[in-house]
Amino acid sequence: MTPLLDARGLFAGYGGLDILRGCNLTVAPREMVVIVGPNGAGKSTAMKALFGLVKIRDGRVTFNAADITNARPESLAPRGLAYVPQEGNVFATMTVEENLDMGAYTRRGGIAEAKARIFDLLPALALKRRHAAGELSGGQRQMVAIGRALMMEPKLLMLDEPSAGLSPKVLTEILDAIAAINAAGVAILMVEQNAKAALAIAHRGYVLAGGTNRFEGPGPELLANREVAASFLGG
Amino acid sequence: MAEFVNLYLVNGIVLGCVYGLGAIGITMIFGILRFGHFAHGDMMTSGAYIALALVWASGLPVLWVLPLAMVLTAALGAGVHWAFYRPLGTGTHSTIIIVIASFGVALMLRSAVQLFFGVDIVTYKRGFQTPILVFDTIRVLPRHLWIIGLTVVLVAALHLFLKHSRLGKAMRAMSDNPALARISGVGTTRVVIAAWVIGGALAAAGGVFLGIDTQLSSQMGWNLILPMFAAAVLGGIGNPIGAALGALVVGVAEELVTYPWFGDPLISPAYKSAVSFAILVGLLIWRPTGLTRGRVF
Repeated sequence: MTPLLDARGLFAGYGGLDILRGCNLTVAPREMVVIVGPNGAGKSTAMKALFGLVKIRDGRVTFNAADITNARPESLAPRGLAYVPQEGNVFATMTVEENLDMGAYTRRGGIAEAKARIFDLLPALALKRRHAAGELSGGQRQMVAIGRALMMEPKLLMLDEPSAGLSPKVLTEILDAIAAINAAGVAILMVEQNAKAALAIAHRGYVLAGGTNRFEGPGPELLANREVAASFLGG
Repeated sequence: MAEFVNLYLVNGIVLGCVYGLGAIGITMIFGILRFGHFAHGDMMTSGAYIALALVWASGLPVLWVLPLAMVLTAALGAGVHWAFYRPLGTGTHSTIIIVIASFGVALMLRSAVQLFFGVDIVTYKRGFQTPILVFDTIRVLPRHLWIIGLTVVLVAALHLFLKHSRLGKAMRAMSDNPALARISGVGTTRVVIAAWVIGGALAAAGGVFLGIDTQLSSQMGWNLILPMFAAAVLGGIGNPIGAALGALVVGVAEELVTYPWFGDPLISPAYKSAVSFAILVGLLIWRPTGLTRGRVF
């Protein structure tokens, strides 16, 4: 099967310093892929580089067989690529509903139906639709962020640490929601600190360290790998 | 009571309208482009004189030519951005360079006005208006009713635009979180042009209203900069409707401090601009996010 997203030999970073050094990532249609690794491994940088927010110095990214290396971020949503950054992932001064409207900014038609589907999928949001996103709890904000990203009905949803700062109970809710989104046919590429919980629901995982791939394989296999566990998953 | 309303409160509200129409542009440009636009007062002057030229050319009353003056000043705003600010790289790390550039633009606009219209004070129309009497005691000048009424219409239209239109929401999104706006597919250019067009059009209205209320001079807009920035901060920077309300507070406060509350005027009218200065300093110390929810950069 041809991959949906294919990144080859990425070199990228900030101010002349490469954080990614030859990193490769692929995601197949409908696949759920998790990236784990120690702090500073370049996980978030990889996500930003894929989405055009950090300049790629060398390497190539294709999405749906089209070259999107260093594409302008605003050009990617209409192509079916969605991204939820780790921080600042909602419009805090806008209502939940307006956040969803912004997610559909480049969409023509079917906005009301898309919104209704998201309120079905994430019912907690429906109750808060007129609240400013900045006033919500961390878990609800994450739901808003994911809801916004889904408004374009993306083929691939990229999530950067969706569980950051959330309680274990809320983490489970978020991961369940992500699994449900994936089951509905949306491919997922997710960076996650909670490696065990994330790898348990993923089809495949990457272990990134020092800006390059260290291990990759099916989620359970990585979890069972002693070397991976000892070095990267906290034993 | 009647004297208080006639001579102080109404004047304060009219002043607030003028400040507000300028402060909306300042706060919008700050929200979207992240710099303080110090040429905004002189853009108001330009708008007022563009209207004067149109009055001279057409012989029509100034309110008739106001829409065209707003369109032309909107184009001036977009043109100034394109010619002076964009080449310096707005939205990058060079904010202070662009702030300084805006001082330069302020001088250029003012000098252009002086070059074409001279430095003498002019008015749109000679003669004076008889006040309309309300409830036998409250006198309001027709021009004040026009200024207040049209400002309410413009601000209400802006509110509806920002709240319900696709582009309006994109402008709020870009002001709230520029990275996420781009991730959502919002192109920066459209939003930036919209900010200049709206800011320029409202600046023209504010300048014309000040000209109608008093007179036109090449310094008229520059003198408004301090109260307008105070209004923008008071309303929460990046929040246009907040800026309009903040301007109302500043305008009314400036007039009311000159009211003889205890026999004498509290402060001589010559010092009333100290009020906006005090409001600005106080806000920056105690409440830099403004009275409504704004953001600090």
